Amino acid sequence: MYMKEILICLALIFAFSSYADARLNVVATLPWIGSITRQIGQDRVEVTTLVRANQDPHYLEPKPSMILAARKADLLIYNGLDLEIGYLPVIIESSRNPNIQSGKPGNLDCSGYVSAIGKVAATDRSMGDVHPLGNPHYHFSPRNIIRVAEGITDTLSRLDPADEAFYMANLASLRKQFDERQRQWSMVPLKGKKVVAYHALYDYLASDFGFTIIGYVEDKPGIAPSSRGVEQLIEVIKRAKPDKIITSVFYPKNEVQFISDKTGVPWVELPADVENGQDWFSFMDKVVSLLK
Amino acid sequence: MQKSRQEIYLIIFALILLVSPGFYASIAYGQDIEKRLSDLEETLKKQQETIKGQQNLIEGLKDELGKLKSAEAQGSTKPLPVTTTQEEGQQKQPKSLSVGGLFGASSMLNPNISVVLNTYGYASQMTDSTLKNRGIPGYYTNSQVTADMANTRGFNLDSAELYIFAPVDPYFNLYTTIPVTEDGVSIEEAYFTTTALPDGLQIKGGKFRSGFGRLNAQHSHVWSFVDAPLAYKAFTGSEGIDEKGVQVTYLPDLLIPLTIGAEALQGDNDILFGKDAESAPHAYTAFAKVSFDIGDDSTILTGLSLISGKTRSNAIADNTIFVGNSTLYGVEFTYKWKPSRLSSLTLQSEYLLRSQSGDLTNETSLKISPLKRQQDGFYIQSAYQFGLWTWGVRYDRLGIFRDDFQRQGDLSQSFGNAPWRASTEMSLDLTEFSRLRLQYNYDRSGRDDKTNNELFLQVILGIGAHGAHTF
Repeated sequence: MYMKEILICLALIFAFSSYADARLNVVATLPWIGSITRQIGQDRVEVTTLVRANQDPHYLEPKPSMILAARKADLLIYNGLDLEIGYLPVIIESSRNPNIQSGKPGNLDCSGYVSAIGKVAATDRSMGDVHPLGNPHYHFSPRNIIRVAEGITDTLSRLDPADEAFYMANLASLRKQFDERQRQWSMVPLKGKKVVAYHALYDYLASDFGFTIIGYVEDKPGIAPSSRGVEQLIEVIKRAKPDKIITSVFYPKNEVQFISDKTGVPWVELPADVENGQDWFSFMDKVVSLLK
Repeated sequence: MQKSRQEIYLIIFALILLVSPGFYASIAYGQDIEKRLSDLEETLKKQQETIKGQQNLIEGLKDELGKLKSAEAQGSTKPLPVTTTQEEGQQKQPKSLSVGGLFGASSMLNPNISVVLNTYGYASQMTDSTLKNRGIPGYYTNSQVTADMANTRGFNLDSAELYIFAPVDPYFNLYTTIPVTEDGVSIEEAYFTTTALPDGLQIKGGKFRSGFGRLNAQHSHVWSFVDAPLAYKAFTGSEGIDEKGVQVTYLPDLLIPLTIGAEALQGDNDILFGKDAESAPHAYTAFAKVSFDIGDDSTILTGLSLISGKTRSNAIADNTIFVGNSTLYGVEFTYKWKPSRLSSLTLQSEYLLRSQSGDLTNETSLKISPLKRQQDGFYIQSAYQFGLWTWGVRYDRLGIFRDDFQRQGDLSQSFGNAPWRASTEMSLDLTEFSRLRLQYNYDRSGRDDKTNNELFLQVILGIGAHGAHTF
């Protein structure tokens, strides 16, 4: 009598479980990593992102829900260069997931595909929050990002060899889109421009697009600006006459506003990362257009 | 008749579904073989190339050898030209060599080391000797215990804690916490955690802070206040439950994060058990903690804990020894709202209930009297962070629902008013490596209508490897 119902249930369970198994569970620390992974993996991956676009990626509260996401992950993709040092080690260890431990195929450090700038041979914390392995904010650098996309494709293909061709095709279309955008971005006249930045967040952007960062609002990386530092910066600005002061959503605006009022140099808030529902291209489009 | 046909169709349908994963798998297997073959071909090609390269190299070397021989024959001392293989070797290396590892820079030759200095100034209107004799009657009044837990007026060095940690191999991480105090060096923690167990399991072993409750597993330098709440002081001592043993925790694959754990511990804690209570291990814990996210910014963490063991302790009062059983129950609740890095609000509370029964022996008169204690306590605290500043308030109290101290049958002994304390603190974190704190306690825990007005000025500084922050 209940044969039918039982069979339907069984059928449904099998249908769903095989469906669930088909997708790779990916945990990405930063929004841009999640976005590129989604572009390459599309419906073959299920991506959870830990940091939101309006959050400072240096600091994150490692919530139990993040640990659970990591526990279920087939693949963990992170920025590296010690950016996530304050929270990722504890998430990885507490996840109790052997597949995403460092050295395992399910642990992808994107900085392995990046030629990092700003490496510091000798430093200590009196110099602020300096990353000795190099500046970690390379997601502003198109030429590094395309290599990271290749790395993500390689890793997805290794974990899910059956879909390799699919991932490669998506990478190819991403690359095509990339070349097109690169051409557009290269036409934006940013070369030779001078800006002041709040944090050393835009060094790759400057080096890729050929403009110069003449000073930082922060006294030292990660150290809040002091009034004396701000005074000195105002002097520098008056002499060097930069075009803009650039900052991000998670930094306080009062110093930037003060400097802008004193010097007449406008400030602009650049997006720090890929926002919800957007992709890395639209993020860069916005960054470039705001810099114009 | 029709019905049965329907059933047959359904069975066929179900069978197809049942078989289909295997079918897909076999397709995948075929693709896999194809891929393996092409991989093999590629490997072969690469090997051929390598062999060609090596042959060229051999030819080159032969040439050089010939030149060398002829040069030798000519009696020339001209040095050999340096070959360019070094440069080629560099090009063959991967694009980047940044082997960051789990904890940052390479920790192969040196483990990660950090030092946390915890030092404070203390002021009270009470004299040092009063403070040293001030217990909580009915909870602990042993002079050794009270002296151990007392602060000295003036400058205090809590400790300079040395943390050393690194992965051992692909299967274990090792952590040690070595507080260096004026009395010497001790080992607060030295434990391994497993990293390769499947199915959300993890084992921790060595000496570690128990997973019982919320504050217990945290190091005191991450607490929102200088000192432990009264309930912890009264039931576990100000150092908390820090034991040798083994812990197993399990994080099941559910929709919400639930962690369950159990521990077998030596049971050395002076207040709760006493060093030679029983042939050890004799203390066991169990805990379950569950968490919910409310939107992006708010998280609730709540849990139940239990620790039970045999007791042989002289912590209750001078010249007495208590032999019996102790169980401590804990309920914890934490709410954290953190919309951005520099603003947050944390509400945290724990309720502890201790149940003890056994015999209390007076060591001078050798009089034995049965003792039953059922006592509880709680604290509630909040910390509001605005910019680099954090403002905290805390209220803690013992004897909420139960304060039964029964000696000799049903005769309940009373010790006066319920002990309570109110605290407020303000701290400044200039960076995540330094914290300055000012704290005031209005302390009525002596049960004697005397107030201890306490003031702390604390400095916590950390250097070295970046420690991990937990929720």
